[in-house]
Amino acid sequence: MADRLVKAVGPAVLAFITYIIFSGSVTPYDLVTATVVAVIVGLLVANLMIHNPRKLLQVQRLGWLIVYAIRYFFIDEVKAHLDVMSRIVRPSMPINPGIVRVPYYVESDYAMTTIANSITNTPGTVVVDLDTERKIFYVHWINVKALEAERTRKEISEVFERFAKRIFD
Amino acid sequence: MRRAYKYAVLTAMIVSTLALALAASAGGLGYALPFPAVRNLAYWYLRTTYNPFMPKFTASAPEAVTAIVWDYRGLDTLFETSVFFLAIIASMALMRGIEVRAPESINLSKYGMSAIVKTVTRITVAIILAASASIALHGQLTPGGGFQGGATAAVAPLVIIVIFSLYFAVGSGIKKKSMLTLRTLGLLGIGVTSFAVIVAGLILGKAAYVFQNQPKEAAPIGLPSHILGVPMGGTLLLFNIFEFLAVAAGFTIVFLLLSVPEESVRKVLEGGEGHD
Repeated sequence: MADRLVKAVGPAVLAFITYIIFSGSVTPYDLVTATVVAVIVGLLVANLMIHNPRKLLQVQRLGWLIVYAIRYFFIDEVKAHLDVMSRIVRPSMPINPGIVRVPYYVESDYAMTTIANSITNTPGTVVVDLDTERKIFYVHWINVKALEAERTRKEISEVFERFAKRIFD
Repeated sequence: MRRAYKYAVLTAMIVSTLALALAASAGGLGYALPFPAVRNLAYWYLRTTYNPFMPKFTASAPEAVTAIVWDYRGLDTLFETSVFFLAIIASMALMRGIEVRAPESINLSKYGMSAIVKTVTRITVAIILAASASIALHGQLTPGGGFQGGATAAVAPLVIIVIFSLYFAVGSGIKKKSMLTLRTLGLLGIGVTSFAVIVAGLILGKAAYVFQNQPKEAAPIGLPSHILGVPMGGTLLLFNIFEFLAVAAGFTIVFLLLSVPEESVRKVLEGGEGHD
């Protein structure tokens, strides 16, 4: 039970924030009900959501998350958008689509999912399947530049993986 | 022949669109309003739903739909909830004796969808539950309420069943029996709430009605109309909370029953293994 209580802290904070944003008001009634709901939801989903609650205390992880969010949305996303846009508007349409293997070397599910969603969310690359035993993503790539595992990782997911490791692993 | 058919369909679509547009706009522009007796009723509801200057008539909830559902026609809603409850009892009776248990030494990671979808769902379940609680607890203030919130909350067990597998759901406590307990508690709460004011009236020696919410002319007691400065509509908040529990648990039971593998059902029906 004590273990579950510790694990419930993170989910409870998430539930509290969701409740307040969804309600769209911060009267005392909202704050009281949000606290009650957050405790109940936190306890309900604690074991589903959290494996290692100690990671929440390591503040540098949150710092890396903020750095990564800014970097991802303002650099990686913009670069990928410009690349795909230029491919679409050029009359010769220089595409070379294909599905490639991209290995990953992170341990936790959250880190792996961060990498996968980062790949999918940038235009031009989509994770179509994964193999958790061999630790490989199968990625559809609009312009296949390489086929060897290490080179595809360098081209597609190296940056994402570096940050995902610091945030979640 | 084919051509004539095409034109007939096209003409019918245009005519029905125009007719609908005419009906909608004519109503709004005032050509074909309902007759005055009906308009007075609507006017009365809107005037009394939240009106501190008419304390003997108000339901004390800014959200007129919730006030109508749980106060003006509360008894009707009680029977609606009971019908839904009986429907679930009937479907459980139909599927009696069918227990879903995960096979021994099962590797749950092989079931359900990919690890990416599972990881995202681990987070969204908390968000779904928090949002659904907000819908239910603000039912007396904004559109929503117990039924809507409960139906939203039931999405959480539904995605767990689909994305993690039924065995995972049953293993983590989403079971028919616990859900039925929750549902019964919810319905019990609705029953207790509908008698709360009349019981208080008997104790205090004052007149009161079944399903009473706010004080009325001949029955001068009721539940508090405001909590922490927010209009609560007295019984409406309690009804919404209990309806939330009842509906969330009820839908979860239905999802559990619908996702039972056919082999388990057949085993019981044919009187084989698992039949006591």
